[in-house]
Amino acid sequence: MKSWLDRLRDPSERTLGVILLSPAFALLALIVVYPIGKLFYNSFFDMRLSGGQGSKWIGWQNYADMIKDGAFWDATWNTVLITLITVPGALVVGLALALLANLPFKRQWPVRLALLLPWALPLAFAGLIWAWFFHTEYGFINDVWVRMGGEPRMWLLSPVSAFAAICIAIIWKSSSFMALILLAGLQMIPKSLYEAAEVDGASRWQQFWQITVPMLMPSIVVALIFRTITALQTFDIPYTMTKGGPGNATETLAMYIHKTTIDYLDVGFGSTLAVGMFVLSMILTAAYLRHISRQESA
Amino acid sequence: MAGVEIRQIVKRFGDVEVIHGINLDIRDGEFVVFVGPSGCGKSTLLRMIAGLESTTGGDILIGDTRVNELPPRARDIAMVFQDYALYPHKSVFENMAFGLRLRKTPEADIQARVKEAAAILRIDHLLERKPRQLSGGQRQRVAMGRSIVRNPKCFLFDEPLSNLDAQLRNEMRTEIKKLHARLGKTIIYVTHDQVEAMTLADRIAVLSGGRVMQYATPDEIYHRPAAKFVAGFTGSPAMNFLRGTLAAGAERFDAGTVQIVLPKSLSSAARARVGQAVELGIRPEDIAIAGDLQNYATATVAASVVVLEPLGAETLVTLRIGEQEVVCRTRPDVSAQPGQTVEARLRLDKLHLFDATNGVALRS
Ligand SMILES: Nc1ncnc2c1ncn2[C@@H]1O[C@H](COP(=O)(O)OP(=O)(O)OP(=O)(O)O)[C@@H](O)[C@H]1O
Ligand SMILES: [Mg+2]
Repeated sequence: MKSWLDRLRDPSERTLGVILLSPAFALLALIVVYPIGKLFYNSFFDMRLSGGQGSKWIGWQNYADMIKDGAFWDATWNTVLITLITVPGALVVGLALALLANLPFKRQWPVRLALLLPWALPLAFAGLIWAWFFHTEYGFINDVWVRMGGEPRMWLLSPVSAFAAICIAIIWKSSSFMALILLAGLQMIPKSLYEAAEVDGASRWQQFWQITVPMLMPSIVVALIFRTITALQTFDIPYTMTKGGPGNATETLAMYIHKTTIDYLDVGFGSTLAVGMFVLSMILTAAYLRHISRQESA
Repeated sequence: MAGVEIRQIVKRFGDVEVIHGINLDIRDGEFVVFVGPSGCGKSTLLRMIAGLESTTGGDILIGDTRVNELPPRARDIAMVFQDYALYPHKSVFENMAFGLRLRKTPEADIQARVKEAAAILRIDHLLERKPRQLSGGQRQRVAMGRSIVRNPKCFLFDEPLSNLDAQLRNEMRTEIKKLHARLGKTIIYVTHDQVEAMTLADRIAVLSGGRVMQYATPDEIYHRPAAKFVAGFTGSPAMNFLRGTLAAGAERFDAGTVQIVLPKSLSSAARARVGQAVELGIRPEDIAIAGDLQNYATATVAASVVVLEPLGAETLVTLRIGEQEVVCRTRPDVSAQPGQTVEARLRLDKLHLFDATNGVALRS
């Protein structure tokens, strides 16, 4: 049996692999495993920083409270609804933008820049822009609305239109990211496939459905995974546009966690909510990954 | 009738003209090969016939219909691409059936035609596979299968064999020739390989720099090349050229100390060029250093052996004649040694003369 020092001096390929990977593992453990572990740990304590009475182990009590908490379910529902609307919405808009950007323009860069711009903007800034768009007195939307003969409306103050406004803002913001991924995928499709299809007799429309969509599927799935996970974490845009209002009609899970932890200083319950959100993300990611592996084996 | 007629075709990409007014007339059922060096415009010409590239000027007719403005799908052609362009997400069967499905062919008909084509190409056992599960040669067959199921008026092939290894290429070349005999359809075939051109074609169009240098049967191209470019492009090794001048009323070719008395037909064709620089062309098999070519009229010149390259069935001997080198094809048992001086005999009826400046063949 060789000592570990000997092994270090003349490592086998396997040992060398472990040695080379260990710094990365350590870093990962520090920035991923530790916070998540700490989150789980905290979720079993009554840890209210406002009272000043320290933390107390309460077992599953926080989880029981969470399941009975109406505000938690409202926020979850809002989050899921935003995901269900904005992910397909951004996919459709993003695909359209990607197809547009993939057209043989003389100059490619203005198109690419226009695509990148919404993506490069900070989320909160995007939220502010759209909050102004929908503003009752100064907003662009009401301006157009009134010119078309409508009564000025308080878009962000009614639950349904506020929700719709937020979804529009999120789709606008996130479709450029979708478009970038899909554009990369589009450019990977060999041109000769379209030529073969054209000779075979396919119209543009048929080429889109028979060549573009199936060839783009891997990119679409990747984009959907990324988009879904970020959609579940939606915070900035509703926070800057409506602060979750009116009432808590547009409050997402991330906002509810923020409110619980930062505004009410209830770290224990906040951690429990965060675990809930983590589980939700994991379920969806697992579902996508299963879909991918099934596609690959097919 | 489904011949193809190309009249005064011009193609410009931006300001660059790459095809300069080509005329070709391809008969129904004919196998025509476009051959030429890289960048001469073979693919561009083929793609214009397919409708994948617009034409800047001139007319293209397929079976008496002017097709310039028709999209590819309305031209009733099929094309086999260099990279095969198989649909990666469709099975072999669906790849072949795609064109038929788009034309709303009845399912029973699709089944029958795909199976028939697959049987001809011996890929019937691969129908359920995806293209990535096939070898290069199998993909090539699928690409051909996809083109034949539609039963088009005309087939267009763009270097279909260039991605295959040498042995497979020979095999597929024979297959393509059989296929043509069986289907009897017009085929236009692009290649830069002169062997493919010679073996497959009914007629060859030799292209260079966007122009047709010669359009003729393989036999004519080989034995009566219209230009030095054509002569140098066919045969392996290619034709030898000796630079020199015409002397004595064009009855003699002089290259330094080497003098060759030209046959009557050649000297009369070259009479106008007396005193001018010309190139004398002769193919390696028309030069002998041993006892070959005894039954032909020959010119004899002194030569020294430079190098021997035995190929098994034959040996290539590089000879120095005067200041210039030529290659000669001999029997494998030739007894020459490098450095040895020999008598080289050149077959008089196989001599070619080319204008040294523009490369045009001089003949009666
Ligand atoms: N889309 C294009 N834009 C500009 N120039 C082009 C384009 N396609 C081809 N060309 C030019 O036209 C000329 C002919 O090209 P083409 O592809 O027809 O050559 P080729 O004979 O098929 O050569 P190869 O044997 O290499 O395939 C080349 O000089 C090429 O650079
Ligand atoms: Mg080409």
